[in-house]
Amino acid sequence: MVLKPLTDSVIVGDAKQAKALTEAALSEGLGAPIIVTEGLIPAMGVVGHRFGCGEIYVPEMLLAARAMQTALSVLEPLMSASEMASRGTVVIGTVKGDVHDIGKNIVSIMLKGSGFVVHDLGADVAPERFVEAVREYRPDIVGLSALLTTTMPAMATVLEALEASNLRGEVRVMVGGAPVTEDYALSIGADAYERDAGSAAERAVRLLSSPDEGAQSV
Amino acid sequence: MTTSRERVEAALAHREPDMVPLDLGSTDVTGMHVDSVYRLRQCLGLDEPGTPVKIVEPFQMLGEVKADLLDVLGVDTVSLATPMTLFGFRNENWKPWTTFAGTPALVAEGFNTELEANGDLLVYPCGDRSVPPCARMPAGGFYLDALVRQDPIDDDMLKVEDNLEEFPPISKDDLAYLGVEAERLAAGQRAVVGEFLTGFAHTNFGDIGAVPGLELRHPKGIRAVDEWYMSLHSRHDYIREVFEAQCEMALANLEKIHDVVGEVVTVIVTSEADFGSQNGPLISPATYRSLFQPVHAKVNDWVHTHTTWKTFAHCCGSIWRLLDDIADAGFDCLNPVQTSAAEMNPEALKSKYGDRFTFWGGGVDTQHTLPFGTVEEVSSMVRDRIRLFGDGGGFVFNTIHNLQAGVPAANLLALYDAIAEYRCYR
Repeated sequence: MVLKPLTDSVIVGDAKQAKALTEAALSEGLGAPIIVTEGLIPAMGVVGHRFGCGEIYVPEMLLAARAMQTALSVLEPLMSASEMASRGTVVIGTVKGDVHDIGKNIVSIMLKGSGFVVHDLGADVAPERFVEAVREYRPDIVGLSALLTTTMPAMATVLEALEASNLRGEVRVMVGGAPVTEDYALSIGADAYERDAGSAAERAVRLLSSPDEGAQSV
Repeated sequence: MTTSRERVEAALAHREPDMVPLDLGSTDVTGMHVDSVYRLRQCLGLDEPGTPVKIVEPFQMLGEVKADLLDVLGVDTVSLATPMTLFGFRNENWKPWTTFAGTPALVAEGFNTELEANGDLLVYPCGDRSVPPCARMPAGGFYLDALVRQDPIDDDMLKVEDNLEEFPPISKDDLAYLGVEAERLAAGQRAVVGEFLTGFAHTNFGDIGAVPGLELRHPKGIRAVDEWYMSLHSRHDYIREVFEAQCEMALANLEKIHDVVGEVVTVIVTSEADFGSQNGPLISPATYRSLFQPVHAKVNDWVHTHTTWKTFAHCCGSIWRLLDDIADAGFDCLNPVQTSAAEMNPEALKSKYGDRFTFWGGGVDTQHTLPFGTVEEVSSMVRDRIRLFGDGGGFVFNTIHNLQAGVPAANLLALYDAIAEYRCYR
């Protein structure tokens, strides 16, 4: 059984090993969805937990995320849309005026590793692009990132744009990034805020499993 | 009467001077965004409307803090630096430019830009538009960020020299410039802060703002931010070799700089590498101890052995878990003291580390209070921080990192009114 070593290879951030073990799992006849749910998702759970409690730091987290992405890139072509979106669909991006994307990228990979289909719009994303993406992908969650005090207000602009397009009721909105706080999330009417990538993925799962889960319930 | 230099020296010696010293603009991490410099100068009536402000640090868009502003605010520090910028062009031959917010500014001749179709602004290394741009400011933005210019990495071909291209020996011309400037500043009464990191001191190990090599036309080695962070773990020996070689060059340059500026300098900016995120350290204490602490200690030891200078570490974010190790590396001053980050409780910082560091910063929160708080909130935070950090000396007032764009005029004035009101010890 190669899934336990695959999990371990992602946890320690060994991308080459993760790719080789993913291919080995496929050649043993395991299906891609099983490899994701039993090999990769447990790894992301461990990595997210260790990151959240300060056992590992950004270098180790980035290495694990890259290993995860490497394994996923082998599996994604083999999976149907419904198989990939076992947990739901997320549209994510860094807001207009802000080009910082490392934190958002980690959240994106953590979400993928937790069973979400993620449409990453990149950085410096205009509100109307978020609106378009919501129309196009029909996501369950929209994730907004901002690293600067000067760009944080653009999160509110995205929420207003979703509202103006009559799409706000169709998605849950999660926000995060260095200057963002729980209070700020509440003040702009976001549904959830999380402070780091590991907890963001867990929160996304809870957000969809419990209709009442939101910033107000924290 | 106490001079500004004596005031800063007393604070650095952990004694209470007549009043808490104030820094503004002596370093690239204690300055003010050009939009805010313009706004403040207008509020104070120092300029006619429309008078441009020079952008002296174009990466972060810091505005020039001229002598008249230093005088009006009662600033105790002044910068000793060469005109070199992070982009490899010099601050000379100024030309008009306007920020996205509409602030009239002056930029150096080498600040050559191009607007993309979407309105984003591109900037070029050494102002050379024949090579790909090195930085971008989103349309409507306030700062530049490095563009990723990372060739595919073949670990078997990676050479330490590739990550050392930006650390040349300081030239005779630059030394001569520093010598003349030092003499000029020595005649004044302000404490001189040596900000030599851009171009010549090279003691800035692994500063993620410098890693992309903004001044290099074709950067080699590890240049992408995420790749660099991963390399701290996965290419540990390579990074250690880079730092060791960089340290040798840094000490050689420092020796030459010391020869020409002597003891005119009170404090030297030694490191601007950030080790903290909003929620915790970016790197583990073990990584700090194995990669950074040895070279930091070597530089601090050299400075303390050969000069009267104090050393200054800028390190953003939540770094409480690293502070024992950073203190053990021998830094005298800690900046920006980001109390808005997790685990950075101001009382705990003063209580545990007040004897080991001079806190150069921590005066007011620039993430929330200054841009979004009320005048009363700004004023009371300034008062509380002066009382806390100023107790027994060991405090130079500065905002937490550069004062950013978008601060309301009333809050700018409240900040400096409160400093004037509460900074006196007696």
